[in-house]
Amino acid sequence: MSAEICVKVDHVSKSFRRGSESIQVLSGLSLQVPRGEYLGLMGPSGSGKTTLLNLIAGLDQPTAGSVWVGDTEISHLSESQLAAWRTRSLGFVFQFYHLLPVLTAYANVELPLLLLPLSAAQRKQQVLTALDIVGLSDRLHHRPGQLSGGQCQRVGIARAIVTDPALIVADEPTGDLDAKSAEEILNLLCELRTQLKKTIVMVTHDPRAAARADRILHLEKGKLVEQIEN
Amino acid sequence: MKFLRLIYQNLWRNKLRSSLTALGTMVLVFVVTLVWSILGFLANATTEKPANIKAIVSERWRIPSMMPYAYSTSLKEGAATESEHIKPSDNMTWTFYGGSLDPKKRTFENIVFAFCLEPKKLLTMMDGLEDLPPDSADRKTLEAGVAKLEQNRQGILLGRDRMERLKKKIGDRFIIHSFNYKEIDLEVEVVGTLPARRYDQSAAMNIDYFLSAIDAYKQKHNGQAHAMANKTMNLVWLRVPDTQSFTQVAAQIQESPQFSLPAVKVQTASSGISTFLEAYRDLLWGMRWLLAPAILVTLAVVIANAISISVRERQTEFAVLKVLGFRPLQIMVLVLGEALLIGIASGVVSAGGSWLLVNQVAGGIPFPIAFFPKFLIPADAWWWGLAVGGGTAFLGSFIPAWTACRVKVSEVFARVG
Repeated sequence: MSAEICVKVDHVSKSFRRGSESIQVLSGLSLQVPRGEYLGLMGPSGSGKTTLLNLIAGLDQPTAGSVWVGDTEISHLSESQLAAWRTRSLGFVFQFYHLLPVLTAYANVELPLLLLPLSAAQRKQQVLTALDIVGLSDRLHHRPGQLSGGQCQRVGIARAIVTDPALIVADEPTGDLDAKSAEEILNLLCELRTQLKKTIVMVTHDPRAAARADRILHLEKGKLVEQIEN
Repeated sequence: MKFLRLIYQNLWRNKLRSSLTALGTMVLVFVVTLVWSILGFLANATTEKPANIKAIVSERWRIPSMMPYAYSTSLKEGAATESEHIKPSDNMTWTFYGGSLDPKKRTFENIVFAFCLEPKKLLTMMDGLEDLPPDSADRKTLEAGVAKLEQNRQGILLGRDRMERLKKKIGDRFIIHSFNYKEIDLEVEVVGTLPARRYDQSAAMNIDYFLSAIDAYKQKHNGQAHAMANKTMNLVWLRVPDTQSFTQVAAQIQESPQFSLPAVKVQTASSGISTFLEAYRDLLWGMRWLLAPAILVTLAVVIANAISISVRERQTEFAVLKVLGFRPLQIMVLVLGEALLIGIASGVVSAGGSWLLVNQVAGGIPFPIAFFPKFLIPADAWWWGLAVGGGTAFLGSFIPAWTACRVKVSEVFARVG
C-alpha cells in the first residue's frame, strides 16, 4: 500500500444475521484515506457509517473484502492481534466518553499505556503530555463525575492520543455536548490533525463538525453516495 | 502488578456490594474454619500414636466404668505375673468425685467435680500437664500444689474458673456434699490452683482422703460398707512405650482371671475417644460431608452472584477496555482479580481473626464433651482462609469472567448507541 495512504477499505461488505434473516449493512464499499486527512462520515441512521468505523478500528471483521491501516491488513488479524494493534496504532474517541468512573482523569488516560512495556516514569510523562495537549493539566486527579461533558471528552481524546497512534477514530465526538463544548472539541481535533499530523476518521450527524473535515463521505444503505471536498 | 490498582479501585465502584460480599465471605469462612478446626481436633484425638501410648483400663460392660479399687494394685503393674510379662512405665488411677457446696440446692455456681488420684501423677500422667516445660510458671505452680496435696490430705487444687465461681481462695475450707457418693461429704481446704485452660473447671484431690472417707463410712455404720465401696475406681491409665507393648499389656490384663467381676477392657486413649465419639458419628459425618461443602458452595454462589451483577453492569466498560487494546485474557484477569482480591482478603481476615480471637483473646473455646481440652483454632486456619476465600472466589467468578472477556464490542456499542 502506498506510504501516503493511511486507511484503505477495499470492496468491503458486511452483513449481520438476525435469526434466519441476513441484513446487508455494507455492500462492496471502497475508500482510501490519505495520511493526515480529516475525514467525515455522514449518513442517516442505519446507513452503515458506524459499522464502517468499527471495521476501520478493527472492532469487527468484514464479511468480504479487506481493510488496511498503514501496512497492516487488519481484516485478517485474530482478536488478540487486533487488540495489540489497537493499543499501538489506534485512538478511539466515543460519543459518550466512556471513561471509567472509579479512575481519575490521569488514571483513565494511563489505561492504554498499562498494556505497553513502559516504566512508570515513561507512562507518567506520556499521560502528562496528553493531558497538557487537551488543556487539562489542572484536572489530573478529578474523577469523571467531577468534570463537565466537554472536559470528559477532552480526557477521552487524551486517552486516544496517549499512545501516539497514527489514526484517530471518532464516533460522533460532539454528539453529547453543548454547542460551546462541541466547538472546543472540534478545535482540538483540528489541532491534532494540523500539529500532530494525525489521520482522523469521524462519524457525525452534526453539519458543523462535518464542516471541519477535509472531506465528507455520505453513506446510504451501505454504499458511498456522495463525496464533498471542503 | 500494573492491574492491581485497577482491580482494587474497581472494588470501590459499589462500596455496599463489595462490603456485603466481603462480610458474607467472612461469616462463611469463619463457620468453615470452626467446622474444620473441630474435625481436625477430633481427628487428631482419635489418631493412634505409635509411641508413648496411654492405655485406658475400664469396666468392660458398664458406662460409666466403676471398678473396685482393689484392682488398682495389679492393674498398675499391667497384671504382670510372669518374668516375660511387660510392666507399664507409669500409671494413674481415676476416681471421679462430684458434689456441691449446698446439699439442698445444686447449681453451676456451687458444684465441684474432682479427680481423686495420687497427687504426683498430676505431674507425669495428666494430659496437658505432663508436658509442661520444666521452667514454666504453670509447672512450678503445679509442683507446689502437688506437694501441698501430699502434705495435706484434705487439700484440693481448683481450676481457676471453678475457684472464681465458688467464690473461694487459697486457704479457704468448705464441705463438698457428694452426689455420686451419697453421704461421703468431704471437708477440703484449697491449697492451690490447676494450670489455666484445660482444667479451669476441674479440681484434684488426694485419693487417700477419699478412700479413708469410704472406710470411715463403714465404721460409722456398724460395719456396713458404703453402697459404692466396691465401685470407687473409674479408670486406670497405663503408660507403655509402643504399640507392641500395648498389645501385650492389654492381653495380660484381659486374660488375667483377677479381673472377672467386673470384667475389664483395655483401649488406647484414641480408640477410647473413637468409641465415645461413635454416638456423634452422624453429626460429625454431616459436618464433614454436608455442612462444610454446603458452606463452600454457598460461598461460591455469593461471590458468583456479586461478580455476575458487576459484570452485567459493566458490559460497556469491558467493551471500552477492548477498544483500548485489552485482550480477552487481560479482561478475564481483571474480573477474576476482583473476586480473588475480595475472597482472599476476606478469607484471611476472617480465618486469621478467628485464630486471634479464639486463641489469643478468648484462650480457646470450652469443649464440653468428655475430657477434651479447650478447643483452639489451628495456625493452619490462616491458610484455610486464603485457600477457601481464593478457591471459592475463583470458582464463583470464572463464568462471569468468561462472559466479560467474550463481550463483543460492536454489539455493545450498537446497544449503547
